[in-house]
Amino acid sequence: MNARRTLTPYLLLIPGLAPILVLMTLVIGMALTRSVTWTDVSGNVSLSLEAWRTILGQDQFWRAFFYSARIGTLGALISVVLAYPVALWLRRPFPGSGLVSSLIKAPILVHGLVAAFLYVNFVSFQGFLNVALVGLGFAARPIRMQNDPYAIGVVILQVWKNMPLAYLILSGSVSAVSDDLLNAARDLGVGTLGRLRRVVLPLTLRSLQAALILIFIGAAGDYTFQAVAGPTNINSMAQFMVRMEVDNGLQGWSLSAVVAVMLMGLSLFGAIALAGLVQVLVKRVGR
Amino acid sequence: MATEAPALTVAEASLRYDRFQALNAVSFSARRGELVTLLGPSGCGKTTLLRAIAGFIPLDSGRIEIDGRDMAGLSPERRDTAMCFQSYALFPHLTVADNIGFGLRQKRLSSAEIADRVSAVAAQVRLSAQLERLPAQLSGGQQQRVALARAMAVRPGVMLFDEPLSNLDAKLRDQVRAEIRALQRAQGFTAVYVTHDQAEALAMSDLVVVMRAGVVEQMGTPEDIYRRPANRFVADFIGTANILAGRVMDTDKANGLYRVETPMGMATVRAEAPPVASHVYLCWRPEDARILSSTEGEVAAENVYRLQVRSRTYLGNLVDLEVGRIDGEGETWRIQTHGTSAVMQGETVAIEIAPERFRFLSEAVT
Amino acid sequence: MASPFPRAERWRNRLLILLALVVFFLALGLPFAMAVLWSLVDPSHPWAYPNVLPPVLSFRRWVEIWTTSGLQQALVNSYMVATTVAVSAILLALPTAYAFGRLEFRGKAVAQMLTLLPLAMPLFVLAMFYVAVLSRLGIYSRFLGIAIGHTFYFLPYAIRLLTVSFSGVRQDLIDAARDLGASRLTVFRHAYLPVLKPGLLAALIIVFILSIEEFAISYLVGAPDFTTVPTILFSYLGYNFIRPSAAAVSLILVVPNVLLMLIAERLLKSTGASAGSGKG
Repeated sequence: MNARRTLTPYLLLIPGLAPILVLMTLVIGMALTRSVTWTDVSGNVSLSLEAWRTILGQDQFWRAFFYSARIGTLGALISVVLAYPVALWLRRPFPGSGLVSSLIKAPILVHGLVAAFLYVNFVSFQGFLNVALVGLGFAARPIRMQNDPYAIGVVILQVWKNMPLAYLILSGSVSAVSDDLLNAARDLGVGTLGRLRRVVLPLTLRSLQAALILIFIGAAGDYTFQAVAGPTNINSMAQFMVRMEVDNGLQGWSLSAVVAVMLMGLSLFGAIALAGLVQVLVKRVGR
Repeated sequence: MATEAPALTVAEASLRYDRFQALNAVSFSARRGELVTLLGPSGCGKTTLLRAIAGFIPLDSGRIEIDGRDMAGLSPERRDTAMCFQSYALFPHLTVADNIGFGLRQKRLSSAEIADRVSAVAAQVRLSAQLERLPAQLSGGQQQRVALARAMAVRPGVMLFDEPLSNLDAKLRDQVRAEIRALQRAQGFTAVYVTHDQAEALAMSDLVVVMRAGVVEQMGTPEDIYRRPANRFVADFIGTANILAGRVMDTDKANGLYRVETPMGMATVRAEAPPVASHVYLCWRPEDARILSSTEGEVAAENVYRLQVRSRTYLGNLVDLEVGRIDGEGETWRIQTHGTSAVMQGETVAIEIAPERFRFLSEAVT
Repeated sequence: MASPFPRAERWRNRLLILLALVVFFLALGLPFAMAVLWSLVDPSHPWAYPNVLPPVLSFRRWVEIWTTSGLQQALVNSYMVATTVAVSAILLALPTAYAFGRLEFRGKAVAQMLTLLPLAMPLFVLAMFYVAVLSRLGIYSRFLGIAIGHTFYFLPYAIRLLTVSFSGVRQDLIDAARDLGASRLTVFRHAYLPVLKPGLLAALIIVFILSIEEFAISYLVGAPDFTTVPTILFSYLGYNFIRPSAAAVSLILVVPNVLLMLIAERLLKSTGASAGSGKG
């Protein structure tokens, strides 16, 4: 009876948790083993670091790596920097705040591909922006803005899609800071900026980190925005990973696996680095 | 030094929210080192007034001065006040020491100076051993003391207390109440203390301001308020009062004696000032009545009333009797007598109330 | 809490609301209006520079997409997969959500963290090597591959949503029902079901939407012969950009899902309300 009672919760976990763990183990295991095996021209599979040597020696790979790191960092930081003041502003309800809040969250309901389409449609030759620029006399003829080489379009899309997510995560913890706490700080002589630095930021640090991590992982691993709106002369990591598999026949999976492992590493360490950076920053300004 | 400015002056403070008059021409002042309580039921405006003093709420009209300086237009962070919040409002991410030093750091004191002041204040509230803990690791009473220490540390011109004891259990409440009063006397800080608990107000204050619906009903020392309530509201709100609608029949101004007809019977009342009208309310307290022994009852004549005990409640140290007229009609009154009293429900008792125990309220019967 | 300058603050808020509306209009309203407009461009009268508005509007493009492209099949595929995924994910999630929502046990926090693991993984890496796992396991059915992938990948959402529902069930109601001698079924019907029902429906809808919208697994497992709505849309974007078709498919992808999501949100709000009444 007693043993059954202590076992029950764990048995109940199996249907939900086991599939997740099995999927993750298989996928990660597959990526890791593929990255250290190599198929030669006659189809023999052997343990080898050849794939690692090939990928890490490629200039294109490193460009993809730093490109994805940059998109991830920019996407995460800009989204959070835009969402934080809005969350502060909407901390307490006022007439109209509910409307604004739901408008901000609206992009969450719009599919990423649709967002990409809307953007491309907006900036393309016959898009609204060009029509407006030409019509208002700012430009003599339409400007090419699609697939811009600086990936401004990709960053705009990342922020467009992720700022609402950041807002969602931040607004909960920002409005959880009680008025009494802020009043206490005011009463002790602390001004607006001081209250932000010494009370609000430290108390919302955890959700700041959560937002940054989630957005960074998503943006660094992006495929669709890059494929639709990104610069054509560079690949994102996910794009590069898929391309490696498609382009390389027998060795495709091994090369792709190396990129995958590197992308997982980038996600992990990038997320940790961003979270650590914010922690240090918040601690410092809170002094 | 005779005309030293009061530490705090509130003059004609008024504030209106949409249709609700939160404060209506409230005035009082506190001398340096005095503890003033704002007492009243919830919604009476006491917390609003406290927040207006702190600067969180602007007044529509009226003046608030601290040490003779007009506070109009000054934001809370620039006012020389420090508040102890009902919720304590401790910063959960900071240690006890950092909480206590929070306001000091803003004053750009050196860290050595801050540390000295923090440890001195912590010693006063007996928290020296808990300085490195986080608020969540402390008991309710300890958290309360951190809030107190944090406010004391900045040495404010006026300390503000917003029902600081309401989150403590009854026993701790009495203890902390005594501690706050002792600290206030020892440190000599001026304090405004908001409460709805009349016992707390009576025990702690130099001056009690009784408020209702944004208006000051009465202001005075605890004894004044209890012994000489101005009206039915104050009499009833502070302690328990038996209130009678009386008609003044006969006046002996020279001796300050008045004959008054009341629902209990004829009463002789001794008062320093004459009643405000011929139909006037008067009150007496449950402990003012003396139960006469059966033989005494027959002899005495003046201010002796024969009443029936409607119910009896044993309270340990006291017995609470609800009494009414023998014919069973009309209102009832309450008497408190010592626990040994053997009077039982349904019995008839004779009680005597001395003339000086009756008190005219400055409120005419309309 | 009143501010020291309520009037100034009110004006500031109004100004900011106006700004938010303008930003919203530029970022969402206008692009969507353009999409609608583009989907209505008549195929025989192309909309080209320097025309500010399309010369002729018609539904011909919609008819054409509906009858000639693979959209119908893609819709069938998407909705079949999504229904399967929603039902199986909820069924798998229920026992685990019950354990998280109503039982206390050692390692609960760790187990809850573990369920969120897939969210910390780059989705395309997961999808890519999920394909490799499928071929190693010999699962060649595209439908099955996508359905299993979606079910496993969206389990965390289902578990999370249902956990909240389960923890909203009031213990005092269960105790009262049992105290009055109710059978297990009666207890379930009166104490659990009223609180669970909206949460269950909401979880079904949300997983359904997530599955319809999912692109990485559908694309990598299904391409090129098993199409879903997002993979069709993807094929219209990029280098061979067929704008009117992309506009139409975009609207088909967004509008029903937004409506469903609004229903789900309403359901979730009602759970919150019923869980919040009285002390838990």
